[in-house]
Amino acid sequence: MEAILADSVRNSLQQLMYRNAIFMCERLCAEFPSEKNLHLLASCYLQNNQAHCAYHILKGTHIAECRYLFALACFQMDLLNEAEAALSPNECNVEVPNGAAGHFLLGLVYSVKESRTQDGASSMLLTVKCVLMAYNPIIEIFKSDKMEKSQFVEKSWYTDRKHSAINHFNQALSLDPLLWAAYEELCILGAAEEATLVFDDGASLLIQKQYLQRGLPSHSSQATNEDHEITSNRSSVSDDVSPRKLKHTYGNNLREMSGNSYATTSNQPLHGGPTSLPFYSTPSPMATQAQLSGVGPPPVCRNALPNGPNMRTHGADVSQRVTMNSAVAGPRRKFVDEGKLRKVSERLFSDSGQRRSMRLAGESVNANSSTSVASGNGISHSSKYLGGSKLNSVASRSSTLRKSHPSSSEIADEGNHHEVYDESRLNVTSSTSSPSGDNRSLEPEGATRSHGAVILSSSKVTDGASDILGLLRLLGEGFRLSCLCRCQDALSIYMKLPQKHYNTGWVLSQVGKAYFEMVDYLEADRAFSRARIASPYSLDGMDIYSTVLYHLKEDMKLSYLAQELISTDRLASQSWCAMGNCYSLQKDHETALKNFQRSVQLNSRFAYAHTLCGHEYVALEDFENGIKSYQSALRIDSRHYNAWYGLGMIYLRQEKFEFSEHHFRMAFQINPLSSVIMSYLGTALHALRRNDEALEMMERAVLADKKNPLPLYQKANILVSIDDLDGALAVLEELKEYAPCESSVYALMGNIYKRRNMYDNAMLHFGLALDLKPSATDVALIKAAIEKLHVPDEIDEGDSMD
Amino acid sequence: MAESSEGEEEGKLTGGNPQLVVDDDLRDMAKKAAWSVSSCKPGNGVSSLRDDNLDTYWQSDGAQPHLVNIQFQKKVKLQLVVLYVDFKLDESYTPSKISIRAGDGFHNLKEIKTVELVKPTGWVYISLSGTDPRETFVNTFMLQIAVLSNHLNGRDTHLRQIKVYGPRPNPIPHQPFHFTSTEFITYSILR
Repeated sequence: MEAILADSVRNSLQQLMYRNAIFMCERLCAEFPSEKNLHLLASCYLQNNQAHCAYHILKGTHIAECRYLFALACFQMDLLNEAEAALSPNECNVEVPNGAAGHFLLGLVYSVKESRTQDGASSMLLTVKCVLMAYNPIIEIFKSDKMEKSQFVEKSWYTDRKHSAINHFNQALSLDPLLWAAYEELCILGAAEEATLVFDDGASLLIQKQYLQRGLPSHSSQATNEDHEITSNRSSVSDDVSPRKLKHTYGNNLREMSGNSYATTSNQPLHGGPTSLPFYSTPSPMATQAQLSGVGPPPVCRNALPNGPNMRTHGADVSQRVTMNSAVAGPRRKFVDEGKLRKVSERLFSDSGQRRSMRLAGESVNANSSTSVASGNGISHSSKYLGGSKLNSVASRSSTLRKSHPSSSEIADEGNHHEVYDESRLNVTSSTSSPSGDNRSLEPEGATRSHGAVILSSSKVTDGASDILGLLRLLGEGFRLSCLCRCQDALSIYMKLPQKHYNTGWVLSQVGKAYFEMVDYLEADRAFSRARIASPYSLDGMDIYSTVLYHLKEDMKLSYLAQELISTDRLASQSWCAMGNCYSLQKDHETALKNFQRSVQLNSRFAYAHTLCGHEYVALEDFENGIKSYQSALRIDSRHYNAWYGLGMIYLRQEKFEFSEHHFRMAFQINPLSSVIMSYLGTALHALRRNDEALEMMERAVLADKKNPLPLYQKANILVSIDDLDGALAVLEELKEYAPCESSVYALMGNIYKRRNMYDNAMLHFGLALDLKPSATDVALIKAAIEKLHVPDEIDEGDSMD
Repeated sequence: MAESSEGEEEGKLTGGNPQLVVDDDLRDMAKKAAWSVSSCKPGNGVSSLRDDNLDTYWQSDGAQPHLVNIQFQKKVKLQLVVLYVDFKLDESYTPSKISIRAGDGFHNLKEIKTVELVKPTGWVYISLSGTDPRETFVNTFMLQIAVLSNHLNGRDTHLRQIKVYGPRPNPIPHQPFHFTSTEFITYSILR
């Protein structure tokens, strides 16, 4: 009875019929109370968004998966301490449950905890600064020391939990190299290693091992048993990467599998035992369909491990999972590949010593399905996944000879990103939030385990692994660089992606983000609009797009975007951010503020929404609240340089120049290539009378971005203040070329000429400035200046200036 | 051209705009001020002057001149005062002679503008600028709007709305001038 109930529960979960699943599972638990069944029930609850139920039933459970689900429930309910306790290894439980996903969750817990405590740190820091400000004369002497010390104070407050978080993310990645979400979190924390190091050969080995092991789940009701075995196998193997052991465990696996008499469709080759197949053998087509296991390790990263192409037995749920045919179609591509993939494969192959395991383990498992059939399947599945014309273009593109991946894997990967994104967020999002429409927090483990059998040849797996890793390397490196604000490099890396991948929503919006950070709004607009065409349903990065449109003053496009986003998903913070930007563009700051506050309410871990609130408060001249908003943004993501910039601007306005300089410097450290930040840093330095440094900063700003006229203008300002009028004039003449329609340039030149007593020129320039329609205040200023020009003339009885 | 700008002809204002249209350059300064009146009838107090509702009005209840005092926390630049008055509705309660004074406090208010309204219906714009470009703005702590007399010699007065405008500050701090061209504005803020 137990088995039947469990099976029915899993089926229901697979079909997304949660209520049925919960009911049946509750009967199951009543009849056969055990931790395993509790675990199943909890996963039902979590899938139905009832984290509190899961929390209550799982309290006090011990087995690894239960602890993991318990931690997940706690995380969703914001009970971080309990989540941490459940996940951390202690005397009873030596290991973090569920391997990679457990580490990932633990990392998330730590990073959220850390962000919660930053408040104390930053206010302490400000107090330190206030004290410093009080002792002004001493400051001049000790300024540099104190600044360093205060930065050190900042860092030491932040380090502990942040380090634990980083640690755990790294461990998660080492256990499961396809856990992209962990890499992403690392990038956001600014602590990611280079993608080539992370997604490298060792990773490839790991993936292959995991695949080959996980290879044989079945539809049978023995799935549960197998789950545990596989988990234990996997965790034991992941601890030990040595190829020698692999053979043993793999052999064990085989024996166990066969012992359990799984009925897999094409099981025979696998049981052939280790025979040595030459590694370079061309896999011969097999009659049977090869399928990749749908078994993900922990549910969170399960999507990283794609499901097989044989989707017909699975529900819609599964078909949304990756249809990763890469391993299958890999060999077909292999021959036409140039460049990286081949090099990668060769590098792999050349390391024959380590590959002994593969040779032995791989043996005669030739999981060559008929590639055409498989890809056909893949393409048809991709049609399920994405509708519309994109699909056809994808399909046609896939037939052309491109760098690496078959179409299905492209969609798979795109699905990967979206899904992994979703899964990892689990309703508790980080600064880049996910569409909250996708609220599936956990997949039923049972359901996924009951996917078709996996037969893969070792070479297929190798190819598949190397394909995936090649892709992840590019994407990871690009993402890492763009988090470090090295946007130009990030862009060049994204360019290396194959067309199919480049034209996906995620990549295009990353490209757009990179352009945005380089202050190239036109290009960003272009990239984002392509992203919208590629994935019109995706909300990722749309908040940045709305800001781009705001900068370009495209109110039509912006309001259209906002309307579309809201109709797509009313409960996503990005939609309300876009709406807020729309109102802000029309100078209706109060409504804009309301919209941004709504956005914050929907997702309080969305740093950008806080920053935008801050901007609106500043526009309304409510500096107190502005500071608070910026600080909340920084608490969530201390590398959010917009918030540092915002704080610097407030302090600049309030004439607290020390503070202002510090904040601009922090922003500058995070984004050292932004000419806007540099020019403001220079302004702050100038206000502090550190004119040399200010000038130097302006020079750098000018070099950083030729198109930015502001640093030149500021430089002229500074030169005027140190009485280098000629220098200032030279700079302004140059600036006139760049920006001939800027009245402030002429006004400033007029002022300079006036000081030089060159009244003709002064008059000319003031006239020009007035022609360019400056604001009312400036009109008053300029006219007043003109009047004053007349006076000395009249006194000297010089030429009348009219 | 240093001529007195308070000539009789110039002081007369007739009609009134049904719409309130103000330059983008200007922004409402009223939120930063403390508003008070010399006297009022219960139910028609000073809040009716600021409620954006043209149906509610302030009704004074004392001797002329009736005063509306607007006090700021710091010196602000003011450029425009706009009143909503309606002769058709208020008849003898409609103000006719209005004097605007500015200063640091009650002790040193000085008259800066006088206008005479003739059967106004709608928004009446009273600019505070002088002819001299240096006098575009009035830089002051306090503004006082005094109703010196009403139409048809009424004793008390109705004022339906008052708005006070000053220039927008430079969105970018520490600049001598505002930026006008798109290149400058685009690069001048990070959002």
